[in-house]
Amino acid sequence: MHARPRRTRARLAAGAVAAALALTACTGGGGGGGGQGSGAPGDRLTDEGRVSHLVLGDFSGQTNPKANYNPFSATALGPLWTIYDQLYVINTYDCTEEPQLATGYEWTSPTELRITTREGVTWNDGEPFTARDVAFTFTLLRDNPALDTRGVAPGLVSAEATSDTEVVLTFEQPSYSRSGMYLQTLVVAEHVWADVEDPVTFTAEDAAVGTGAFTVKSFNPQRFTVERNPDSWRADTVVVDELWFEKADAGGQVDQLKLARGEYDHNSMYVPDIEDTYVAKDPEHHHYWFPSGSPISLFMNLEKAPFDDVEFRRAISVGLDRVALTEDAGSGYVEVASQTLLVLPGQADWLDPTIPDEGVLPYDPDAADAALTAAGYALDDAGRRLGTDGEPLRFSFITPQGWSDWTAAANSLKEDFDALGIAVTVETPEFPTLEQDRLVGNFDMTFGVRAGQCSMFQNYDEPLGSANTAPIGERATTNEVRWSDAHTDDLLARLAGTPDADEQKPIVHQLQQVMVDQVPFIPLWYGGKWFEFTTKNVTGWPSAEDPHAGPDNQHLIFTRLTPVTG
Amino acid sequence: MAYFARRIGFFLLTLWGAVTLNFLIPRLSGGDPAQAILQRIAGKEARVDPAQLAAVRAMLGVPDEPLWRQYLDYLGNMATGNFGVSYTYFPYSVSEVIGEAVPWTIVLVGVTLVLSFVIGTLLGTWVAWRRGTTFDSVLTVTSAFVGTLPFFWIALVLIYVFAITLGWLPPSGGYSGLMEPAPTAAFVADAWPYFILPAAAIMITGPIGWLLGMRNNMVQSLGEDFARFGRAKGLSNRRLAIAYGARVAILPNVTGFALALGGLIGGTVLVEQTFNYPGTGRLLLEAVSNKDYPLMQTIFLFIAVGVLVANLVADVLYGVLDPRARRKEAA
Repeated sequence: MHARPRRTRARLAAGAVAAALALTACTGGGGGGGGQGSGAPGDRLTDEGRVSHLVLGDFSGQTNPKANYNPFSATALGPLWTIYDQLYVINTYDCTEEPQLATGYEWTSPTELRITTREGVTWNDGEPFTARDVAFTFTLLRDNPALDTRGVAPGLVSAEATSDTEVVLTFEQPSYSRSGMYLQTLVVAEHVWADVEDPVTFTAEDAAVGTGAFTVKSFNPQRFTVERNPDSWRADTVVVDELWFEKADAGGQVDQLKLARGEYDHNSMYVPDIEDTYVAKDPEHHHYWFPSGSPISLFMNLEKAPFDDVEFRRAISVGLDRVALTEDAGSGYVEVASQTLLVLPGQADWLDPTIPDEGVLPYDPDAADAALTAAGYALDDAGRRLGTDGEPLRFSFITPQGWSDWTAAANSLKEDFDALGIAVTVETPEFPTLEQDRLVGNFDMTFGVRAGQCSMFQNYDEPLGSANTAPIGERATTNEVRWSDAHTDDLLARLAGTPDADEQKPIVHQLQQVMVDQVPFIPLWYGGKWFEFTTKNVTGWPSAEDPHAGPDNQHLIFTRLTPVTG
Repeated sequence: MAYFARRIGFFLLTLWGAVTLNFLIPRLSGGDPAQAILQRIAGKEARVDPAQLAAVRAMLGVPDEPLWRQYLDYLGNMATGNFGVSYTYFPYSVSEVIGEAVPWTIVLVGVTLVLSFVIGTLLGTWVAWRRGTTFDSVLTVTSAFVGTLPFFWIALVLIYVFAITLGWLPPSGGYSGLMEPAPTAAFVADAWPYFILPAAAIMITGPIGWLLGMRNNMVQSLGEDFARFGRAKGLSNRRLAIAYGARVAILPNVTGFALALGGLIGGTVLVEQTFNYPGTGRLLLEAVSNKDYPLMQTIFLFIAVGVLVANLVADVLYGVLDPRARRKEAA
């Protein structure tokens, strides 16, 4: 699960409910439907020394979820990590690798990856797990583009099991830079899937066969329950008998009310004013941790003047008040982003030490003004900034309708541009329309989310690689700003061909230099990863004090809990 | 007979128009369903993986045929009841998804509609009979006032008082999720507390339209010549009110009721959204925001067909009940 969308309900009715629920924050609420939140620490302890159940939040699948346990389906339920395992888990906070179904891997050549699989693992239907299941999974993804939501197939030639415990993947071209993606693939059982007629429409609703720590207990659109799998290869690390995923309104007001009442042991949702609305309700047990996720950037269309002028972009990059912006847009939860495109402090190891202030740019409107004038963008008598053609500069800024924090951020930027004499109009089309415009290059300025992954190649290649862009009017895959630069492409090619992290670092430093010197786009703030938890029934959740896993590393989190004994 | 033929011809023409608009409007609004779905799945601030997008497109089979070809396929599918697979709930079919939501809406909207109609009409009759009394003024003025209250405000008060302050009823949802939805007594017992608040929110304003309509019609019909004639004949007030006033006055209300029944499947989007009630209204809203063309089109189709059929039935009924309607059209 990723950071949950923080979407403002534009509808009046919902707003009314919001107001009603907000009032409860003052009254403290009373009883109410459900109400499993109450109870003393240790109440749920079983005779075996485990916790009977934990109540968790939404399980996705929209408002009326259907049972879809196909882990490769784009419409699958969210918590399928309970049922299926990956070869490795990559800790999204510090980017370390944790072996799961694999115990080791080795690039025997730039185009050959050998993976050693774990012995003694069984599927939850009793069949043994082997390297053949892994080979089958990769072949399945290669042959069914509709299932390949992670992009495993491009370049994958074959996946073959050489023994019960070794599988060999071969690729068309050097693929070091993509190893994280291969290692994080969820593995399915050959003996089940081989007989499936159409794996794309297969939902496994009758029996979800996996190696995971949990198995499906029951499902209805309101509640998804999984129970501990006693035969799992790491059953001894699982101290919870059942997980209850409850549907409310996907992080809306009802969910916030339930959270405030302590009905959820853990949830990942945006909550306004969390100290008051959550922590204060039970300061001893209610906690949160909102580490930084992918940076949200200002995208300027590099195919249009004056954005094609590096002097213009450099001037703008110091003319934006990022601190004011995070306060306007992020409720103070989010941090100002580094121009290097790294997520700091998590990725500090990769930072080029010669870049001042970790790449966090200052707010200096006077310097921006001087630089713009020096670059040929002077102010006229009316205080308007003129383009090189003598016409006043005016741009539109598009941001999705209803994403109130982004709209606030856009308006904050508009003020910064106003101060520089540049007229900006904020427009809020519907998201799909905006996304289409962004991909085909039909915009002046907009927000974009790139980078923030553990693969440095992916982080820089997606927004900057010229292979990922397209002429205006055609759909770019990921390079929406349309940065096209031979030096950058050369660095990316070298990065892709370098397996060793220490040798990758100097190349990544040079890519950071491109970001800082050339300003292809301007990272503004880090998206928050929301993570709330109570320590009433279990402890050991990752937190700012103990960031042992990222908020989205459920495979790790739920095998590292400790019951509270009361 | 010409009257009925004309009605049916008009019905078919309108149906074709509605079905065609239903096809065109979502497609003209632009945007990519794959993109819309993906962003919902990924979350706003997660970066969208291009591989994911390609996979979702391959999965949905988002059409790239020319529009006229899509239109013909669409007409064929609508006629044969093949509504396709929902984008949002892939790989589940549209029929299955709607089938799950329909009972909720029929129960909520059906029950409240019938109750509103009966209560409103009876109260309307009563106050018209007692017209001019304090009771009439109080009820009429109160109704007119309550009728102006915005729905969301009523919902707010109900949720605040009964769900949050008193904690008697759940604030949202259709059932607890502790058991599978099924037509059993146990499940009904589980679900009924969730029914009360949305139903109450509808019922507070629901009868008012019927009440005022009935009262005004009846006051008018009681002033007509035939009523005066009845009174001159020495009929009792009660008989006059029921047989002379109400019987005539109820006609427009019956038509209105038929039309409301026809529109039932659209549910009440506002109610279902506010209370997060698992009916077709909420489903429709979701389909629209997800660009789920197959699901959206099917729900709109049902609404259009429902309203048009109800209209046809009402027209035909009118023709049968009121010979003047037939004669007027012929003239």
